[in-house]
Amino acid sequence: MNSNLSAAAQRTVGPVTEIRPGKGLLDLDLRSVWQYRELMWILVGRDLKVMYRQAALGAAWAVLQPLFAVAIFTVVFGIFARMSSDGVPYPIFAFSALLAWTYFSEAVRRSGTGLVNEGDLIRKIYFPRLIISLAGVITPLVDFAITFIVLLGMMFWYGVTPTWQILMVVPLLAVTSLLALAISLWLGPINVRYRDIKHTLPFLLQVWMYASPIIYPLSMIPERWKAWYCLNPMVGIIEGFRWAILGKGNLDLTAISVSAVLIVALLFGGLIFFRRMERSFADLI
Amino acid sequence: MTNELAIKAEGLGKRYLLGGAGKNHDSVRDLLVDTVGSLFRRRDPQAKSANEFWALNDASFEIRRGENVGIIGLNGAGKSTLLKILSRITEPTNGRARINGRVGALLEVGTGFHPELTGRENVYLYGTILGMSRAEIASKFEAIVDFSEIRQFIDTPVKRYSSGMYVRLAFAVAAHLEPEILLLDEVLAVGDITFQRKCIDFAKRLQKQNATILFVSHNMFTIKTMCTRVIYLKKGRVLYDGPTDEGIKRFEDDCRLATVPWVKNSKDMPIEIIGVELADQGGREKTVFDHGERMTLRINYESRRPVATPNFIVVFSRSDDVACCNYTTETDHFVIDQVSGQGTIELRTPPLSLVADTYTISILVREQGFGELLCAQLGGTFHVRHEMFDQNFGVFHEQAQWRRVDGAPTASANPPANLKVVGATDVRR
Repeated sequence: MNSNLSAAAQRTVGPVTEIRPGKGLLDLDLRSVWQYRELMWILVGRDLKVMYRQAALGAAWAVLQPLFAVAIFTVVFGIFARMSSDGVPYPIFAFSALLAWTYFSEAVRRSGTGLVNEGDLIRKIYFPRLIISLAGVITPLVDFAITFIVLLGMMFWYGVTPTWQILMVVPLLAVTSLLALAISLWLGPINVRYRDIKHTLPFLLQVWMYASPIIYPLSMIPERWKAWYCLNPMVGIIEGFRWAILGKGNLDLTAISVSAVLIVALLFGGLIFFRRMERSFADLI
Repeated sequence: MTNELAIKAEGLGKRYLLGGAGKNHDSVRDLLVDTVGSLFRRRDPQAKSANEFWALNDASFEIRRGENVGIIGLNGAGKSTLLKILSRITEPTNGRARINGRVGALLEVGTGFHPELTGRENVYLYGTILGMSRAEIASKFEAIVDFSEIRQFIDTPVKRYSSGMYVRLAFAVAAHLEPEILLLDEVLAVGDITFQRKCIDFAKRLQKQNATILFVSHNMFTIKTMCTRVIYLKKGRVLYDGPTDEGIKRFEDDCRLATVPWVKNSKDMPIEIIGVELADQGGREKTVFDHGERMTLRINYESRRPVATPNFIVVFSRSDDVACCNYTTETDHFVIDQVSGQGTIELRTPPLSLVADTYTISILVREQGFGELLCAQLGGTFHVRHEMFDQNFGVFHEQAQWRRVDGAPTASANPPANLKVVGATDVRR
């Protein structure tokens, strides 16, 4: 009897859950994401293990993929088309931008299609769905780190010495992942309803890549179009990466500010949109 | 203290729009326009739509701490929807619920297992998915592996597991959840009999710890052993909420003479079943039969017009809807000249060789030569009881003759079926 009472007394401390329809527009409930952070990390760990364990070459893929792209771009654009590279060896020029782009596109792909891929979990388990999107932009950071080391090796080979500015890669990377998250907060819920996103996404990303200064320098864009061109939030980011890694030119503050404003707007709107749509995920997937 | 509420639900409702995903948007543009619009419009929960469907409607109940409540009802009655709302997987359309305590929801065993990962990795993955902390899983890891009985394969990728091993490991993790409120959806129905016993033990252990259990099942037998109270849902509404025996009786009475689900228009059928009685050989009414017992089934019918040479068909279907056997007057060469008005027909089965399970009776009447359907109704349910023969032994079990033909001497003849069974269970104890 006594032990029963004390057990019951202990339980009164337990959490209280309120279940009700449609919470307010601005109730983003980010605290629950924090509460479920362990699940997010374990999903990241699972994806990394599976990714590297399934492939015969394992982690080597993370290196080979951008290396192939760099090789192709170097041959096609650097050698055949004689694209300007602002006085830097073309492979390094292309790689410094591809490093950021490869991470960005992989993060958008993972994060944007993650909700549908985790359909089983969403149908049977409760957790803040946002952690799937978060995990999607965190997982490819490991690939980024490996590729970055390869880039440093290549820079050494070509005799390009990094400066202190290379430390700026870290905040720039953070901005990139926020942009990827913002994009997928919009794409993910739409993909739940319209599975065509999965097929359109590679195409969209390819167009976006050519609309960003990756194979060509920003200096090639005519001055009068530049303002419009910089509305692409990846422009400021890519130029930032080049500036940080190659130590040349100036950080384009206008482009970076445009990126920052766009990211904040997309992220905030995306969070509201995601929360709004989240309620029906389990019914639609 | 025990009076304290674990769950309080007030007017819970869940509306689904038929025809797929909500409104039918023709293009992504429509969707965007609509969604942006709906962000700024207040939703009207009472808005009517022609193709809407209330999976749950105005469900209110209070569940006290430590109570074990069974949720019963036919398929599509809203049982799973209720659990999904209470476990926060989906939001209610209206109403509210307040849950007091740590919730563990088991709507499926093994959700989130990844085939490429090892057993060990999956224990951590699945444990976290179910809401345990890493430290909690680490401290229970040995116990989980012991419980699963597959220690030697714990570092093998689970894609190499048999389905049985897979479920055992998943359940071993789930069984180490220590929720204050457990939501269980039919998960006990999987696995072999020893496994099912483990599941029941798990639930009983939680009962002893004064946990609150909400349990959805089709198996009235399990509901009876586990729950003191049932909530009977019908077409999304709470039809009954009270003591188990009364609730199950109401449910079974309701199912008793309903039209079988696959018949579309039952209104024009000329024959109606107005009562079904189950009894043993001695004429005592009952619904639980031992394997090997004979059953007497009395069918009271009413024929709205005279029907010549009708063929009465009785079907027993297992709990998973597999039709297991069929008795028909025509194949048994029992000729009924004509039926008109009220009457009664009696079927006496051979000794039941069906394995232990819950069976649903369907009663069909057709024209001679398995022609036009004249009647198709459910006739209630019954249970077959046996210590050993369950679905793992197939649909039915009967004794066969064995002998050695390689010349070796035979030690003994087959003992009679019943004796053998008693002996076998005694040895196992």
